[in-house]
Amino acid sequence: MKTEQKIWIALAAAGCVGALVAMIAVATSMPTGIPIVAALIICASIIGNLVVLFKHADRLQKIASALSVGSQVRMTAAYPPDSLLKEIGTASQRFMDETNEKVKTLQNENTDISLQLQLTQRRKNSIEAILNSIRDAVMVTDDRDRIILANAAAETLFGFEFDPLQPLVTEEAVSSDELVAAISKCRTSKTAHVRHELTFEKDEQPITYDTVLSCVEDDKGNVLQVVAVLHDITREKEISQMKNDFVSHVSHELKTPLASINAYAEMLVDGEAEDAETVQQFCGVIQGQAQRLSRLIEDILNISRIESGLVKVSKKTHSLALVIRDSVEMITSYAQEKSITVHSPASILYDQVTIDRDMISQVVINLLSNAVKYTPANGEITVRTDLNEIEGQITVMITDTGVGIPAEDVDHVFDKFYRVKANNKYAKGTGLGLNLVKQIVETVHGGSVFVTSTTGEGSTFGFVLPLLKETATQTV
Amino acid sequence: MENRKALVVDDEFHIVQVVAIKLKNNGFDVVTAENGSDGYDLASETLPDIIISDYQMPIMSGVEMIEKLRQNPETAHIPVIMLTARGFAIEDEQKEQLRVSACLSKPFSPREVLATIEDVLKQDAAV
Repeated sequence: MKTEQKIWIALAAAGCVGALVAMIAVATSMPTGIPIVAALIICASIIGNLVVLFKHADRLQKIASALSVGSQVRMTAAYPPDSLLKEIGTASQRFMDETNEKVKTLQNENTDISLQLQLTQRRKNSIEAILNSIRDAVMVTDDRDRIILANAAAETLFGFEFDPLQPLVTEEAVSSDELVAAISKCRTSKTAHVRHELTFEKDEQPITYDTVLSCVEDDKGNVLQVVAVLHDITREKEISQMKNDFVSHVSHELKTPLASINAYAEMLVDGEAEDAETVQQFCGVIQGQAQRLSRLIEDILNISRIESGLVKVSKKTHSLALVIRDSVEMITSYAQEKSITVHSPASILYDQVTIDRDMISQVVINLLSNAVKYTPANGEITVRTDLNEIEGQITVMITDTGVGIPAEDVDHVFDKFYRVKANNKYAKGTGLGLNLVKQIVETVHGGSVFVTSTTGEGSTFGFVLPLLKETATQTV
Repeated sequence: MENRKALVVDDEFHIVQVVAIKLKNNGFDVVTAENGSDGYDLASETLPDIIISDYQMPIMSGVEMIEKLRQNPETAHIPVIMLTARGFAIEDEQKEQLRVSACLSKPFSPREVLATIEDVLKQDAAV
């Protein structure tokens, strides 16, 4: 032990003794000089103790720390104070090192968890963005039949607002009993993947959904959630129905001339034509029906090409009056057979349009041909044009004094394969001619078609084409 | 022996003509109509032994004509063979209800039409 330490310990001990004496003196009412001496001794001892305390404060702190955490320090009299303090210091240091290490580990783990949280949040945002950008309605229900996830399409479809904090009961939120039952059945049957075709009413319109239900199971095979994805197939079904109708119509239209060809050919083979004239007649029927079949196929292909955008269009600047004049000339002989008079339009200036001449010719011929077909003998057909420079368009109208079209049929005459039943007896047709007119005018030339009719008085069929903006002087 | 009478109803002139010629060549008296309404009137008037009718026709369809024929006691018994471009246009149930004896889909063979008519008339005679 160092001398300095001994002195201080001695001072401390003296202080203690002095304090003891002072207390005794006070207690026994000793002369006043003695307490003063005792007080001095007490002050010295206090100062000594304080110095010791300050000098060894760090060690004492370590001892206190070690003791407070139960460090393995043996406090025996056999250990000299230096060794004790050293051991306490080493243990404390080790403890501090270990603690620091643990803190660092915890800090690292905390950083990892924070990163993972951020990553999870990003994934969640990403999944939500994906779900909400899907047009299909997606909905997840839990084992208590509550909606725990729904995208915007599902909200719109069923008219609810999804709140993850207040899950809705499926039965209350979903208006389709069929879907609720399907979800419930999927859960109870634990079927991994089922498909349903469900039809809902939306804005008083039936909408059909291809619905896929999938179960989410835990490790033990218990169904935790059911995921429902609803894909709107209304349009697909409509297209499919239209395709079926089209095939049915085409089949019907093709079979009719084919039936005649087949029957008359068989009659010829069987010698049912008794004379040369009948043979000639049968051959004529076969030829005529074959041509009808050919026209039909050509019309179907033309419409199909226009609809699919595969038609080759060659647009140039033409005078529409000249196109009409040529078409009228082509139809005149047919009209004369029925003693029908065709009045051509007066020529007009600046009727330049950018058109595919062959196609527009076909439009005018189809309309004129129909007018002749459905106009009784000695009737009249008038072709007129109306130029509207303000609107930048030209209108062509073909008016007949024919049988007219019943009011209930007027809106459908441009539909594919539509035939006015009441007028079937006047002429045969494929039901494609007017649809072809519509396709050529509207789809190819950006114009419009129209019809007005009065039964027994006649009809006016027409079309509107946009004029060439910069009126060209060149006429093809 | 008096010729058997057949009524052919179809809005397709060439079909009516070919069936009529086939039947005439094989000993039938034939009357023709181009729609169901005219067909019913002719059937009521001539009381044919058999009717060969198209399915789809203007003014009155083949089915509508048959329904009307079955309601008339004078024409209710007349066997009908239906010609159609749609193979399955008539359901079996409807066919039975209307008592349609046979259906032939277009394109058909005149030989087949004649053979079917003969079969139907034999069955009808047996009943």
